[in-house]
Amino acid sequence: MSRAPLKPLLTSRIGARLIGAATVLALIGVVELAIRAGIVNRFIVPLPSEIMVAIPRIIVEENVLHRFWQTTQEVLWASLLLAAVGIPLGALLHRYRIVRLACETWVGALAAAPIVLMYPLFLVIFGRSATTIVMIGFAAGLAPVILKTLEGLAGTRQVLLDVGRSFKLTDSQQFWKILLPAALPSVFVGLKLGLIFAMINIVGVEFLINFGGLGQLINELAERYDLPGTYGAICFVILTSIVFFDTAERLERFLRPGE
Amino acid sequence: MIGESARPPAAATDVALSRDARLLDVERVSKRFVTNEGVITAVDDVSFSIAPGEFVSIIGPSGCGKSTLFNIVGGLVGDYEGRVTVAGDTVRGTHPAIGMVFQEESTFPWRTVVENVAFPLEVAGTSKEARVERAEHFVAMVGLSGFERRYPAELSGGMRQRVALARTLASEPRILLMDEPFAALDEQTRLLLGDRVLQIQQTLKQTTLLITHNLTEAVQLSDRVLVMTYRPGRLKRTVDIRLPHPRDSEVVSSDAFGHYVAEIWHDLREEASRGIIDDESRVLEGRARR
Amino acid sequence: MNRAGAAAITAGAVTGRRVVIVRVAIIAGILVGWEALSLSGLLFRDVVPSLTAIGRAAGRLLTDPDFYANLSVTVGEIGLGLLIGGVCGLATGILLGANRFLSRAYESLIYYLGPTPKIIFFPVMIMWFGVGSGSKIAMGVVSCFFPIAISAASGMRQIDRVLILVGRSFRATTWQMVSKIYLPAMRDPVVNGVRLGLGVAIIGTLLAETKLSNRGMGYLIIQAYSTFDMPKMYALLIVLFVLAIGANALIGRLSRTAARNRSA
Repeated sequence: MSRAPLKPLLTSRIGARLIGAATVLALIGVVELAIRAGIVNRFIVPLPSEIMVAIPRIIVEENVLHRFWQTTQEVLWASLLLAAVGIPLGALLHRYRIVRLACETWVGALAAAPIVLMYPLFLVIFGRSATTIVMIGFAAGLAPVILKTLEGLAGTRQVLLDVGRSFKLTDSQQFWKILLPAALPSVFVGLKLGLIFAMINIVGVEFLINFGGLGQLINELAERYDLPGTYGAICFVILTSIVFFDTAERLERFLRPGE
Repeated sequence: MIGESARPPAAATDVALSRDARLLDVERVSKRFVTNEGVITAVDDVSFSIAPGEFVSIIGPSGCGKSTLFNIVGGLVGDYEGRVTVAGDTVRGTHPAIGMVFQEESTFPWRTVVENVAFPLEVAGTSKEARVERAEHFVAMVGLSGFERRYPAELSGGMRQRVALARTLASEPRILLMDEPFAALDEQTRLLLGDRVLQIQQTLKQTTLLITHNLTEAVQLSDRVLVMTYRPGRLKRTVDIRLPHPRDSEVVSSDAFGHYVAEIWHDLREEASRGIIDDESRVLEGRARR
Repeated sequence: MNRAGAAAITAGAVTGRRVVIVRVAIIAGILVGWEALSLSGLLFRDVVPSLTAIGRAAGRLLTDPDFYANLSVTVGEIGLGLLIGGVCGLATGILLGANRFLSRAYESLIYYLGPTPKIIFFPVMIMWFGVGSGSKIAMGVVSCFFPIAISAASGMRQIDRVLILVGRSFRATTWQMVSKIYLPAMRDPVVNGVRLGLGVAIIGTLLAETKLSNRGMGYLIIQAYSTFDMPKMYALLIVLFVLAIGANALIGRLSRTAARNRSA
């Protein structure tokens, strides 16, 4: 039997992924052994096997489903605000050229600013509540929504606008029948980015102010010194965020075929 | 339309049609641009008229200002000297009687073929049933029956241009204005599409002004060909195409066709050479590309 | 030059002036609205302090050596975090970008771990590195590793194959390939990755400081919160934002497109 057929299998996409996954599992196995052997302090790094057992435990005991729903609600509210405020603001910037020229760089700077660090301020204004969390998510995700909406509208091909002009469209018709449909793919990308930023900051703030859903769970478990629980909850949250991100990507690819 | 200053009388370069016979009137139109290199005259004192039902082509080398002329006649550019009138009505901004077909891809990617073609009817407020029926009529006219529910992304470039044409025809313009709509297509497709366009034009008796750089196309489709000079763009000469109707693409092999092409090329060649020489001197002098 | 030319130039200048007017108007509007809100007493005491109060707090802050001590702690933590995370991220990204097998095996791991809230790792970082600066630096490292690695990997793949062949044809060593071909060719995507990395490193480090620390800007902010010294909190946030945006802009200037725009 020749070894030739083996190499393409190993280096193929699936083969590589499997090997990658296998190495990660092997690494976890090494950690398990190292802890059992006493090389690594088990009060700093709990046994991976304990962590795995902890996950179903906390799902049952800590009402993870309810907390997940809380976080999701916060993200949904933030997304609603992002769409309701961000898209019109982007359209406004496009409509009034002078405002766009004045403000576009400011919005760009806002995208780079560490907005979530204002959370103590939001705490003072909105109290220790879900509102604070939603508002921070909204504030963190706003800039990309505005910028991508603007980019989509401004990037509409001139010839499509000329077609509208040749049919004597009013300004309003030009916006709703040509500009907005042409900009929609970009707007969705902006919403996806805004959603992701919002979600990251929402879970982060939940952890920091010890209120809300999944972020708070991690904080609680950490304060109780439930090590396997804490690690398990972190893994759970990471898994959730991966699923969330992946869904957003698939949705984007679905809405923009061929890109 | 800046007011006219004292200028020499217009060059008599086009057939003088009687006032009633003119549907489109272009009177002493000039357009200048200010660039980093100074003032460039794209179009210089161009005058011509088109009678109802005529198919007129404007041909010239690239850089002769024919696209500028397209934009002026279509009303997309406002700041020029001279006047453009349609059936006596001065053109100020885009005019409902003028339908435009652009060179670039202009179908709406988010609408199906029939939705694209129905667009002008939708804008005019026609009821959904009526406009779908009218749109399907024009879709059939350009030979795309069966493709009504497809999206432009699923069609070839030539098919998309046919959709754009059908869409403009659906608005039933008095004058059809086209800017090299088949420039991106290969020669054989162009000839066949040209056939179809001519058939449609003859059926509808559609007054048409075609901007092109393609000799064969100009002679194949037109009743008259206007030759433009290289920048500054002036009307160099008019050639009446007395080929019989109905014509099809077979006509390209006839002797008469060859003579017309030769005649036009004789004038065009000089202008095209000037364009090439200008390009070369640009590079040598380090000027910006055209 | 004729009238049309002169008209075009004045039009450009007029637009420039109008932009300045709009910006001044917006800023003035915000400041006036703020002061009005502050004086009206609509929101409870000191949530919206008057501009003078904030100004005075800022003045006190910028002349307080304690502030600068804390600032340097934070800047040090961020700097170190960016350095370690940046080098690791760059190395990882180059490796993944260069080797298709490794990329297929591991890159999606990094890609999907990227958009997760890193602050949730903080309890783990505390256990591993203690409650001092160590855990804050670790947060910075974890935060900025991912965007830098991802942009380095994609930057590697964008390099024109021809350039790599040229390097190999001259028998360049690995280090020479990296320093003389890969890095210069990937300059723009890597600069963007570093900008992103800096942004998330700032966030990660400072949030960690607000959660558990007795030094640093984050500590000062939480301290102002717990003593309800709102003018000081606003002043701190303003200084922080100005520094963060400024640092971001500075790094942006390192990119090739920025350099080209400057010389154009």
